Amino acid sequence: MDAIEVSHIIKQFGPLTALNDISFSVGIGETFGFLGPNGAGKTTTIRILTGISSPTSGTATIFGHDIEHDTIAARQSMGIVSENSNVYDDLTAWQNMMFSAELYHVGRNEREKKAAELLTLFGLYARRNDIAHGFSKGMKRRLTLAMGLVNSPRLLFLDEPTSGLDVQSNLIIRDVVTDLIRDGVTVFLTTHNIEEANVMCDRVAIINKGHIAAIDAPERLKKTIQSVQSIEFSFDHSSTDQLDELRHFPMVNDARKAGDKFKLYTEDPSVVIDAVMSYARSHNLKVISITTLGPSLEDVFIRLTGLQRSGGTVHAID
Amino acid sequence: MPSIDREKWIERLSREISAAWAIAKKDMRIYYLKPNIIVSGILFPLFMFLAFAIGKNAPPGTLIPGLIAITLLFSASSIEPVSIPIERRVKTFDRLLSAPISLHSLVFGESLSGFLYSLGIACLPLVIGVILFSTSIVHIPILVIAMALTAFCFATLGTLFAAYPTENVGEVMSMLNTLRLPLIFISGVFIPISAMPQIGQEIALFSPLTYGNDMIVYAYTGVSLYSPLLDIFVLVIFIMIFQFVANRLYKKFNE
Repeated sequence: MDAIEVSHIIKQFGPLTALNDISFSVGIGETFGFLGPNGAGKTTTIRILTGISSPTSGTATIFGHDIEHDTIAARQSMGIVSENSNVYDDLTAWQNMMFSAELYHVGRNEREKKAAELLTLFGLYARRNDIAHGFSKGMKRRLTLAMGLVNSPRLLFLDEPTSGLDVQSNLIIRDVVTDLIRDGVTVFLTTHNIEEANVMCDRVAIINKGHIAAIDAPERLKKTIQSVQSIEFSFDHSSTDQLDELRHFPMVNDARKAGDKFKLYTEDPSVVIDAVMSYARSHNLKVISITTLGPSLEDVFIRLTGLQRSGGTVHAID
Repeated sequence: MPSIDREKWIERLSREISAAWAIAKKDMRIYYLKPNIIVSGILFPLFMFLAFAIGKNAPPGTLIPGLIAITLLFSASSIEPVSIPIERRVKTFDRLLSAPISLHSLVFGESLSGFLYSLGIACLPLVIGVILFSTSIVHIPILVIAMALTAFCFATLGTLFAAYPTENVGEVMSMLNTLRLPLIFISGVFIPISAMPQIGQEIALFSPLTYGNDMIVYAYTGVSLYSPLLDIFVLVIFIMIFQFVANRLYKKFNE
C-alpha cells in the first residue's frame, strides 16, 4: 500500500481540462515534490487529494482509503499546510492550535501536550496567548505548520512552505520538515523553489498543462538532459553589455547574468571555456572564478514545461 | 445493528458533534462582536420593529411576540453570511473544507453559532416584556421550542446563503435581505395572516417565519392560526430542506 495512489484522474471545469489522465503514486515515508508552472494543475491535484474537490473520473487513495468515498478516514491521517498562512487572526496561537486539534479529533490531554510541544518547537510558546493578528509573516507560517502537525499526520501536504520567509523562520521550518522526513512522515511538497525540491525530495513530478511531464528522482531527471551544461564565471569588471557579446559565442545556447556572475549554457563546456578566456584576455579582464556546472533541476523543469529564460528570470512561452 | 457497528457509529457521531461544536465556538469567539453582525443582527431588527410599532395603537406588551420573531430571523441568519465570505477571503475556510468531518457537520457547526447567538439576543425582548410590561407567557415549553426551532431554521438559512462562492460579505447580505425583508411582511408579524388578501395568505404558507411567529403568538396568547404541532413539523421540514440544500451547494461550489 502506498501513501498516495492516483489513477487516471481527469478533472474538467466545463470545456477546460485541468487534469488530463494523471497517474502517480507516493510511497510511505517518501518525500515527493510536485512542481509545475502556474495554472499547470498543481492546486487542482491537491484539492482532489485532500477531498475538497472531486475528480471528473479516476480515483485517488490515501493509505488505501478512497478520497472520494472514504473521505473522512483518508483525511484523518493527513496534515495540510496551505500556501496562505491561514491562521485565525482573531484567535491566540493557543486557540488556533486547540481549534485545529478539535477539528482533527485529538483528545483533550493529548492536544494540550501536543500544542505545547509544537509551539515550543516552532519558537512560539512564549507568544501562545497573543492573538495571531500581531504575528509576523514568518510567525504565522510557523503557526500554520504547527497547526498542520497537531494530529501527528502520517502524510503532510506542504504548499510553498518557505516562500518569502525570513531566515529564522526558513531555518526552523526546514529543520522541522527534515526531522519529520527522518521520522518516516510522507511529505507531498509543492514549491516554486526548485532547489528546495532538489535538496529535499526523493522524487519529483513535473506537471504541465494538466499532464505529468516527468516523474523521477532529481538526479535521474538531470541525467536526461546532460546536453544542458553550463559555465559560471565572473570577471573583475562586469557589465550587462558583456552579456550580449557572450551570448554570441560559438556553442552557447543561452546566457544569463546573476549578480556579478555570468552563466553560459552549452553542450560543449571546453569550447566555451576557451572562448571566455580569450575574451577576457582581449578585453583586459581578469577571470575571478570559473566553474563548470551540470544541468540543474530547474533546467529540467524549464525543458519539460516549455518555459524560457530571459535575463535572470523564467517566463512562460505559452 | 451489530454492537461493533453501533460503537463505530456512536464514535463517529460523537466526533462529528465535537467538530461541529468546535466550529461554533470558533465563530462565537471571532464574530459575535464584529460591528457588521451587531448592526445586522441586533440594531437592524430593532429599528425595523420600531418603525412599524411606533404609532400603532396597541399596548407595548402585545408587540413582544413580533419583536422576538423578527429578532430571531435577523440575528440567526446574520453570522454565517458575514463569517464565511471573510473566511473564504483569508483562506481559513479551506481549513474547514479539508478537515476530517462531513459537510453536514460543517453546515451544522456553522449554523450552531448563529442559533446560539440568536437565542441569546431574542431573550432580551422576552425579558423586557416580562419585566417592563408584565407580558405573561401562557405556554413556556412551546415558547422555548418555537424560539429554538425558529432560530435554528434561520441560522441554517444564513449558512445556505453563505454557500454562494464570494469573498464579499455585502453580496451575500444583499441576496439574503432580498428574502428576509419580504418575509417579515408576509408572515403575520405586523399584519395578521387572517387579515391578508387570499394571495398573501397563500404566499405566507411558504415562509418559515409564519410558523415560528404563529407558535410564539400561541405561547403568549394561547391562540394561533395553525396547531403548534403542525408549526413544529413544518419548521423541522424547512430545517431539513435548508440543511440538505446548503450541503449540496457547498459541495457544488467547492468543485
